[in-house]
Amino acid sequence: MRKKRVLIPLYLGEVAPRFDLATEVLIADVLPGEACSAGDIHPVPRPSMDGLCDLALGKGVDVVICGGIEEECYHFLRWKRVEVLDNVAAKAQTALERFAGGTLKSGDILFPEEDAHVR
Amino acid sequence: MSLVPPELLASLDLPAILDGLPMGVAVLDREGRVLTVNSALERLTGFTREQARGVPCRHVVRSGLCMRRCPAQWPADTEIVNRQRRMIPVRISAIPVRDASGLELFRLDLVEDLSAVRDLERRLEEPGGIGGLVGKSPAMERILKLLPAMAQSGVPVMVVGETGTGKDAVAEALHKLSPRAREPFVRVDCGPMPPESLEAELFGRTQPSGDIVPGAFARAGAGTVYLSDVGELPDALQARLVAFLDEGTVLAAGARVPVRSQARLVASSPAFPEDMVRAGRLRRDLADRLGDPRLALPPLRERPEDIEFLLAHFLAIYSAKFRKDVTGFTPKARLLLLAHDYPGNVRELRNVVEYAVMVCAKPDIAPACLPAHLLAQLAAPTGSD
Repeated sequence: MRKKRVLIPLYLGEVAPRFDLATEVLIADVLPGEACSAGDIHPVPRPSMDGLCDLALGKGVDVVICGGIEEECYHFLRWKRVEVLDNVAAKAQTALERFAGGTLKSGDILFPEEDAHVR
Repeated sequence: MSLVPPELLASLDLPAILDGLPMGVAVLDREGRVLTVNSALERLTGFTREQARGVPCRHVVRSGLCMRRCPAQWPADTEIVNRQRRMIPVRISAIPVRDASGLELFRLDLVEDLSAVRDLERRLEEPGGIGGLVGKSPAMERILKLLPAMAQSGVPVMVVGETGTGKDAVAEALHKLSPRAREPFVRVDCGPMPPESLEAELFGRTQPSGDIVPGAFARAGAGTVYLSDVGELPDALQARLVAFLDEGTVLAAGARVPVRSQARLVASSPAFPEDMVRAGRLRRDLADRLGDPRLALPPLRERPEDIEFLLAHFLAIYSAKFRKDVTGFTPKARLLLLAHDYPGNVRELRNVVEYAVMVCAKPDIAPACLPAHLLAQLAAPTGSD
């Protein structure tokens, strides 16, 4: 199985809640089934949907792991044959490890559930 | 200030109270984690309260402010991206909930959906002010002026025009500008289809179990039913339409009791009703009821002053869609495009520009980027000169 280049937009060490607003991204090469590298963090001086799409394509990214992403951007990346796992809410490293383990999927929420004070 | 007795507070059914509110509400702890959300916010964000519980609110609300200046100076207009990948304009306000000593216990984030307001603003600002309809020629300006007035009325409207002139867009604009805009817009293509299927599609049909499968009129409710190419309807169904226009009722296939329908009828045809009556394609009684008011859309060859405007309009749309920096046409390409007579009207022009932007690799579209069939057509008369 070949290595996959993964891009995760970041915010406070988490998968950024919004793809289009991330000011930095983590790019890591992952060999599915094996431990993943820490990856490199790239700053995004002027975050935008177009800028991040161009960055992903320019870096030869195979997979984007993100939180919220707009429909148009999602389909653009899919059209460019980039796999998109969206609606992921997690620490970036947790998401990356899950992906490497082959268990990450769109919609995963990987924060520990707190006891609620309200029903 | 007198405080609410704690026993009264404890007896309150807080989730039910929150669910009764029309705007989205998230209850957050002091660290900004979600304790619960109400049903309006569930619908808005796509996150259930079970999914949201314990998650930092920025991962649930996902507003444009979450990653910039949270906690924000509230209220603020921004947008959210929900789980269905829709960007929704919202207004967010925050209410801190404090105890008697002033210590903040919770925070309530109120999220109001501004889609309807923004939609209205956008419609008012659109070129020509209406839907996707654009045009600067006197003929189009007259139609764009007529549309809002026609939309306000509930009477049936006939839209006449050659293929590609924008009949569907006009029908949709009539709906969107009308007081029925929040109700469904149901389009039925009256083209080749077995009469039984068309009858079921329009009026519904009764299943062997006795249940009625709703037709277009039932699905539209108090909205609009749009019949494209009404002259293609079989005579028997045209008679049923006359009955609907006279009595306001529809009868599903196999049913015995007619049902009232509040839907408005908009129909379209490539030919004028009188011509279709003469050709035996439209019943006179239906033509009498549908023929006025009518909107006749002029073909593009009769309003050449719109061609340049439409070229620029679609160029901007497709450059943005394909993320290309195509900003204009070379003088030769422009001349070729202006010389064409567009038998396929606006649809053809739109398709030509879409293709040209798709294949163009330079800032200006050159003749080489135009579709080959168009170049061949344009070259033909020149060659014979």
